[in-house]
Amino acid sequence: MSRRRQIAAAAAVVLAVAGCFALGRYGAYLVHAVAISAIAALGLNLLTGFAGQISFAQGALVGIGAYTAGNLGNAGWGAGAVLAGGVAGGVASVVIGLPALRLRGLYYAIATLAAQFVLEYLFKIVEPLTRGISGMNVSPLVLLGRTVASDQAYAALSLALLAITWAGLQRLMHTNVGRSFLVVRENELVARGMGIDVVRVKLWAFLVSGFVTGVSGALVAFTTRLATPEAFSLQLSVDQVAMLIVGGQGVWAGSLLGATFVVLVPEAIQRAGEAFKAANLLSASREMAFGLLIILFLVFEPRGLAALLRRLGRALSRLVASRASRASPTPAALATSRYPATGGSREKAH
Amino acid sequence: MALAVRDVSISFGGVVAVKGMGLDISEGEIVGLIGPNGAGKTTFINCIAGTYQPSSGTVAWQGRELRGLAPHAVIRQGVARTFQNVASLHDLTVLDIVKLGAGARGGASPRDAARAFVRGEAELEAELHEAVLGPLRLSPIAAQPIQTLSYGLRKAVDLARALASRPRLLLLDEPVAGLTAQEGRQMAGVIREVRDRTRCAVLMVEHKMDVVMSTCDRIAVMAAGAKIFEGTGAEVQADPEVRRVYLGEP
Amino acid sequence: MLLLQIATAGIATGSVYALIAIGIVLIYKCSGVVNFGQGGYVMLGAYAAYALTRLGLSPQLAAAGAVLILAAVGALTELLVLRRMLKAPVVAVMMVTLGLLILFRAVCLAIFGPDQIAFPQIFPQGAVDIAGIFITYNYVAAAVLSLVLSLAFLAFYRYTPMGLMQRAAADNSRAALAVGIHVSNQVSVAWAVSSALAGLGGVLLATLNSLSLTLSSIGLVAFPVIVLGGLTSLMGSLVAGLLLGMLEAFTDGLLTPALESFLRAHTSVYSVGALQQVVPYMLVGAMLLVRPQGIFGQRGTERV
Repeated sequence: MSRRRQIAAAAAVVLAVAGCFALGRYGAYLVHAVAISAIAALGLNLLTGFAGQISFAQGALVGIGAYTAGNLGNAGWGAGAVLAGGVAGGVASVVIGLPALRLRGLYYAIATLAAQFVLEYLFKIVEPLTRGISGMNVSPLVLLGRTVASDQAYAALSLALLAITWAGLQRLMHTNVGRSFLVVRENELVARGMGIDVVRVKLWAFLVSGFVTGVSGALVAFTTRLATPEAFSLQLSVDQVAMLIVGGQGVWAGSLLGATFVVLVPEAIQRAGEAFKAANLLSASREMAFGLLIILFLVFEPRGLAALLRRLGRALSRLVASRASRASPTPAALATSRYPATGGSREKAH
Repeated sequence: MALAVRDVSISFGGVVAVKGMGLDISEGEIVGLIGPNGAGKTTFINCIAGTYQPSSGTVAWQGRELRGLAPHAVIRQGVARTFQNVASLHDLTVLDIVKLGAGARGGASPRDAARAFVRGEAELEAELHEAVLGPLRLSPIAAQPIQTLSYGLRKAVDLARALASRPRLLLLDEPVAGLTAQEGRQMAGVIREVRDRTRCAVLMVEHKMDVVMSTCDRIAVMAAGAKIFEGTGAEVQADPEVRRVYLGEP
Repeated sequence: MLLLQIATAGIATGSVYALIAIGIVLIYKCSGVVNFGQGGYVMLGAYAAYALTRLGLSPQLAAAGAVLILAAVGALTELLVLRRMLKAPVVAVMMVTLGLLILFRAVCLAIFGPDQIAFPQIFPQGAVDIAGIFITYNYVAAAVLSLVLSLAFLAFYRYTPMGLMQRAAADNSRAALAVGIHVSNQVSVAWAVSSALAGLGGVLLATLNSLSLTLSSIGLVAFPVIVLGGLTSLMGSLVAGLLLGMLEAFTDGLLTPALESFLRAHTSVYSVGALQQVVPYMLVGAMLLVRPQGIFGQRGTERV
């Protein structure tokens, strides 16, 4: 990114964060719900979109972050609790990845599935740390001696953390660790031949992605003020995968687009359901839309909304250009990325 | 001897690919490895580079045993290889690929990594332009994505990537195959130039005999997994056994 | 006595797991696709049978009809979705099968609602008396049917010309193409057979328990079976399915009560929850560390 664009992006973030305080309660709630999901989706995008490892354990990792941060927050920790949530998520993510480290991606997917179920079970069982099925109450976050209580403040905080995560991950992709992710995604054999320590690279991917996901979990705990096993079930893992597909893999903006879509559409459907008193059918149609969207995107637009919007932008600018007969610049596309995910060819795992 | 390979064997599911193969290479020497398809040349390179683990034999490099080391550990010992088929690594740029090669040198501490994360890689870029991209005339296209390049240029980038790890032994798997005649001559020139400049040892598998003859100081001939002859270009061309096996004469 | 009772329950559910897992392995061998949506076909099979009885068919005919319907659904899935994704990365294909699972679940939710439904009796009521323990016909039928079908399928795969074509397509699709086997048709057949097996498994599971949307999560239970049996071994799935069924039954019937009474005596922990549901997954983690190719699977070599 050029210096000028960096400054523009930073200014936009500052404006957006400040703007959160002008929102109503419901608006602020929507902002932090989307931002927190987007942070976890960035973590999953790093792992799946950039490093090529599909994970079904996102839900459990968010839970690890939430329970860690919740317990520490209740014990009087402030910002440290959020950080600790990230660290716990990172460590858990590495532990989950260990069994499948030397195997192909498919085995990693199954290992994460196993981890999701085992962790979900532990959330219910280890009552001293999780309060079991009834859930754990979490006291509000204390930052710099002040209690963060309002939805507006959480919206601002979540947006700021989203921006920091995004910038950090983007930066990571411009180091050799990040570049190695891409080579491992494309072809592990070539990566090894190039002298890349594939095991180490995967560990990095697990660690960073788990950290980011754990931070998101910490924010979940503090905004919902309650951590229950149900909130971190396979459903959440699947939602996260859906965000990735709908938004676009291997494109950072895709995580935000996907999170926006996956969080807001059910919200809208629920509102409609309340209005028409047809909750059952509507929750079914929400799921149906979900399944169909995943399939349709994967079949027809594997690069997700990010690519779709970019193409739309181009078409629009061409239209404008031809109308106005003078060349207008392409609108700054939301999704400018050098790394479209067109991962390794299908191969049988041995 | 910089590289001393002795009695290396490897088989896949009962098929013996390399059997009792040995080879010596000195510093600053370019050795060609030729032989018919399926003779085990690439497998032999894979055994040195750590991609395959030979079932027996020794691979001594500057007095150290390479057998048993993982590929990334072998590169850290100063042994880099190129590929027969250049992988298309999508949107990575030429500079990205070469930086990855430099990263394979190893020895980067977490602190160095953190510094690269915070401050960027301007110093490394300057070094790579001077040491690798410049001499290979790749500097003008450093920012181009690899998938936009011709096959010949990709092969050059693959060589640059290997060179960026500062190898003392360069394993080249068919560096000229698939290139046009002119590109091939350029590539051969680059290989000699690299050898003259860095005095590194080079082992080169190649089918194009004119390139092998003009580039290599010594040539080893493999057939059916074993070495059948070794000598200068003239000696190889004169040997009746080589002519029978390889050049297809009765 | 108790042991025998538990073992029969284990064999019954285990053989159904095997049936479902064989379907997943079949598709994987043939096309390299891992079907995370297999549970969706299991659930569809059960609901299809239920719907057919509501239309007036006898329960037995409805079960047979459901298997046929599922075969068609499987083939259609391959034709409409998977065939368009031949060149897609493996991650995308895994995710698309997950999308199918979500879609099927939602369809059943919309039509049949979220509540448990009593499943019609397919097998006669009552129980057989074996050495003093009573086993309901449901369990006997489930075990016998799925074991016989699994073995019959293995024999079909090994000894018939169709099975030979399947194996050829699975082993080396290019070589199969070269000798004139229509590989993509073979993949469609594999999907049809796999879905039919899953549908039957769903019907059997519904007779053992009852009919609800949770049947769809059975597909995910099949993955421990596959890892344990080796991803490419049909026989391995059969053995591992039985093993895991037993493991679940014994965990539920013996280990959980023992563990809980021990914990209650010595700690403040009161319950270990649904331990039998996670034991297979714990085993998967251990298996991946020790012998990732599974009990029967084989390691392959890779080429540069």
